Amino acid sequence: MRISRRDVLSGLSMIGLSAGLLGGRRTARAANDDYRALVCVFLFGGNDGNNMVVPVDARYADYAAARRQLTDGGLALAMDQLLPLAPASGPAQFGFHPSMPELQQLWNQGSLAVLFNVGTLVAPTSKADDSAGRVPRPESLMSHQDQQNQWQTSLPDRPSRTGWGGRLADQLPSAPLPPLVSVAGNVLFALGASSHPLAVPGAGGPTFGLSGFNSSAGSRALVTAMDVLRGLDLDNALIQSVAGETAAAFAASGMLSPVLSGTGSTTDALFESQPSVLGNQLLQVARIIEARSVLGATRQIFFVAIGGFDTHNDQLDRQGPLLAEVSSSLSAFHAATVQLGVASQVTTFTLSDFGRTLAPASGGGSDHAWGNHHLVLGGAVQGRQTYGTFPTLALGGPDDFTAQGRWLPTTSTDQYAATLARWFGVAPGDLTAVLPNLGRFASADLGFLG
Amino acid sequence: MNSRVLRSAALALVLAGCSSQPSAPAKPLVLSPDAVRLAAQATFGPTAAVVGDIQQRGAAAWIDAQLQLPPTDLGSYPVIADDVNAVCPTGSPASCYRDNFTPFLSEAAFFRNAISGADQLRQRVAFALSQVVVVSGAEVRPNYGIAEYEKLLLRDAFGTYRQLLEDVTLSPAMGRYLNMVNNDKPNLPRGTEPNENYAREVMQLFSIGLVQLRPDGSTVTDSSGAPVPTYDQNAVIGLAHVLTGWTYPLQAGATQRTHNPPYYLGSMVVVPSNHDTAAKTILGGTQIPAGQTPAADLAQALDTIAGHPNVGPFIGKQLIQALVTANPNPEYVGRISAVWADDGHGVRGNLGAVVRAILLDPEARGDVKADPSYGRVKDPVLLLTGPARALGVTTDGVYFARASASLEQPPYLSPTVFNFYPPDYTPESKLVSPASALLDSASVFNRANVFVQLLFSPPGPDKTVTGATGTQITLGDLAPFGNDSGALVDSIDALLFHGTLSAAQRLAVLDAVNAQPSGPSWVRAAAYAVLTSPHYQVER
Repeated sequence: MRISRRDVLSGLSMIGLSAGLLGGRRTARAANDDYRALVCVFLFGGNDGNNMVVPVDARYADYAAARRQLTDGGLALAMDQLLPLAPASGPAQFGFHPSMPELQQLWNQGSLAVLFNVGTLVAPTSKADDSAGRVPRPESLMSHQDQQNQWQTSLPDRPSRTGWGGRLADQLPSAPLPPLVSVAGNVLFALGASSHPLAVPGAGGPTFGLSGFNSSAGSRALVTAMDVLRGLDLDNALIQSVAGETAAAFAASGMLSPVLSGTGSTTDALFESQPSVLGNQLLQVARIIEARSVLGATRQIFFVAIGGFDTHNDQLDRQGPLLAEVSSSLSAFHAATVQLGVASQVTTFTLSDFGRTLAPASGGGSDHAWGNHHLVLGGAVQGRQTYGTFPTLALGGPDDFTAQGRWLPTTSTDQYAATLARWFGVAPGDLTAVLPNLGRFASADLGFLG
Repeated sequence: MNSRVLRSAALALVLAGCSSQPSAPAKPLVLSPDAVRLAAQATFGPTAAVVGDIQQRGAAAWIDAQLQLPPTDLGSYPVIADDVNAVCPTGSPASCYRDNFTPFLSEAAFFRNAISGADQLRQRVAFALSQVVVVSGAEVRPNYGIAEYEKLLLRDAFGTYRQLLEDVTLSPAMGRYLNMVNNDKPNLPRGTEPNENYAREVMQLFSIGLVQLRPDGSTVTDSSGAPVPTYDQNAVIGLAHVLTGWTYPLQAGATQRTHNPPYYLGSMVVVPSNHDTAAKTILGGTQIPAGQTPAADLAQALDTIAGHPNVGPFIGKQLIQALVTANPNPEYVGRISAVWADDGHGVRGNLGAVVRAILLDPEARGDVKADPSYGRVKDPVLLLTGPARALGVTTDGVYFARASASLEQPPYLSPTVFNFYPPDYTPESKLVSPASALLDSASVFNRANVFVQLLFSPPGPDKTVTGATGTQITLGDLAPFGNDSGALVDSIDALLFHGTLSAAQRLAVLDAVNAQPSGPSWVRAAAYAVLTSPHYQVER
């Protein structure tokens, strides 16, 4: 691994220059109490929210009737398996999938909220408006790629080359490192108009630097040649793009590679009981958050992801282990933020392609749908509550725009993102720069962050 | 360099010193730039030999000869039950799972064939097709099933698209991957509907895409400027009903059941009692009459899909992007769509003719392309095979199978049906660049570190792999230039850059070379410097 002394020194000298808060509220020095981070957890494939959060009151009967019993080739979870989500007072109305005990505990502690029936929306709609064509649907509804993109851009009515995470990063003052860090490769969410994300490997992954080099003249000459070559003859736009990515990687490597290798991390042990792909990504996020001062970071946006949720068949066997990984990883990560004293400065939230049909499909699975339920976690979250409107679980019912149980969303991705962005520090007047369609919806704050 | 790298480099230096005789300086490689470009587009990387062959025959005759070559054998793999506990019970070596339930062994064969097979164009096109009609070992676990699918693509690579689509649709691996296998008609008592997965993706990804296209690949829009969709949800539902009533092929000696157990050789078979015989409406309002057999329904649906005018521009453009340039001019796409519509002998979707036209098009040929938007960012697989072919690597493929995973492009092991990257991925350059989706700040180092290992310390035989021979690097076409840095850089320029290195780039490489001891270290250092450069990562 190459850690250039020059890179480290220049990085340190820039920390003093890094500006502070958003929205012009006040100028601040880099300090822990100014720090805030958003952590986006993308559930690729379209998580079946219908089995993640299930009513345990009288509505369970609707659920069981439409989902059908397991013995009948159906997908219904048994009532007594569900993990009840009791509110602060009164009986539980909903329960979690049985694979999510850690998240049930975080709900009980008040750090976790559930958001009902969120989706990509061009504008507020209803079954009548939708069927009459008065409100256009998102482009290419129910296509994985398009809906993944639209959840990341929050622009379901047009193609976009930026994501709302990237546009949020565009609002931030310059910092020694890019504020947006993906631990899951290139994603549209992270691309801004002016800001460009970093991608880093998960914990235990490959090194974030060159291997096989030392201080010999031969090594130094090769590194010099690489430095020179990536600045020469950039007459082709694709070569220029590759050169830019390469230069950004080398610029960040000196400061970040010691952090990414776990040097000085105090939270690794929290993730060790159940190592997983998602857990390793979130551990990497925890390490970066722990090093925020030395990295000169006051605002950061992270992107992590887990795939496999496209459960067209054998859903009961497949979704459980995925939700278990989400539950244990998010729980370990939340514990890390508590240990680091930043639990109320870090908010973690889920995105996913779309919800899935309430009616089972041939093969014990479910098909692509639209609105879906999501999770928000953190010390600042007004937890132990649900937000938004739970759909009527009836095939062909008032919330179903087909006959298979596909929910018309009642909350838009714009409202979801705006609530997070305001907490992050974006001034109300700047929200439309991040979320251009926000004005079409009644509320820009869903209330789950106080 | 770490001590291991230094040791192996020093060892190679000693060996070279012992064997080399004083001789006249080697003459640098002199190669036709256009022939080098064709080799880069149509093979897994230029070698002096293949470029010489192209120069001798001419581009068209070389392509025609390639179109005639049969597939190099991918090997055969044991047919196993799709049951890990039965095949690899507790106590089995780790290699049991790896060899039977991951595509590891067929990936090693893929790389052996890509690096040294004679049927380079077929291998390259099949690899491109594997990224369009995607099946992944992440879901379809038995390796023999993945290998069978790969053989299907190799076999059909130059046939008609209609045949390819039928073979893919009835492949048990695809049936398993996208749930057409055991897709049953509506079951009212159970409340289940036919599975929509294959019905949706065969249209969205494998044939026509989401929006109507003109032959030049541009999008048809309505009066408000919105793209016009190719189909709606009802067409998906209709096709899902058409595709009911198929199950796994019957293994010899087994008894036919309504849902046969997983078996991946041959094509799926019909179960008429599970087929929905009601009338259906599919793509473009096409009516499938009631009472037809599963096969008749399928044939009518595939004729409808393969006959849709989108297929030429939708698939043809992706093949252009995979072989030549990521941002073809509309006229280029239009010329290929015309060949797709009619190969000159009245045949639609003749893939061999389409590939030939793509490679011989004026936008593909020529010594130098100066358009700043021309070219394509190389796939990680090509970043592995290109150096291997140019630098005389002999391999059992094992190292390459593993390296392709660390570079996020293990063949036939895509994370989802959406391939390793979307065909319209657009990084900040504002240009489409599908393979750029795999290039980020983390992969910059992964790639450089793979090159270090390949050049300086390629791994020997893996004892857990039967018949392993490991990976060796002889430096191939560049080996003769270890004592003449000028001829070395000239030859790298000719073979890997079709003569486009600038004076400044040559100087940068020479500075790095001259800081090393002469001999093989020079070749390795020069190769490392250029392979990690942005210029090598873009084919143009």
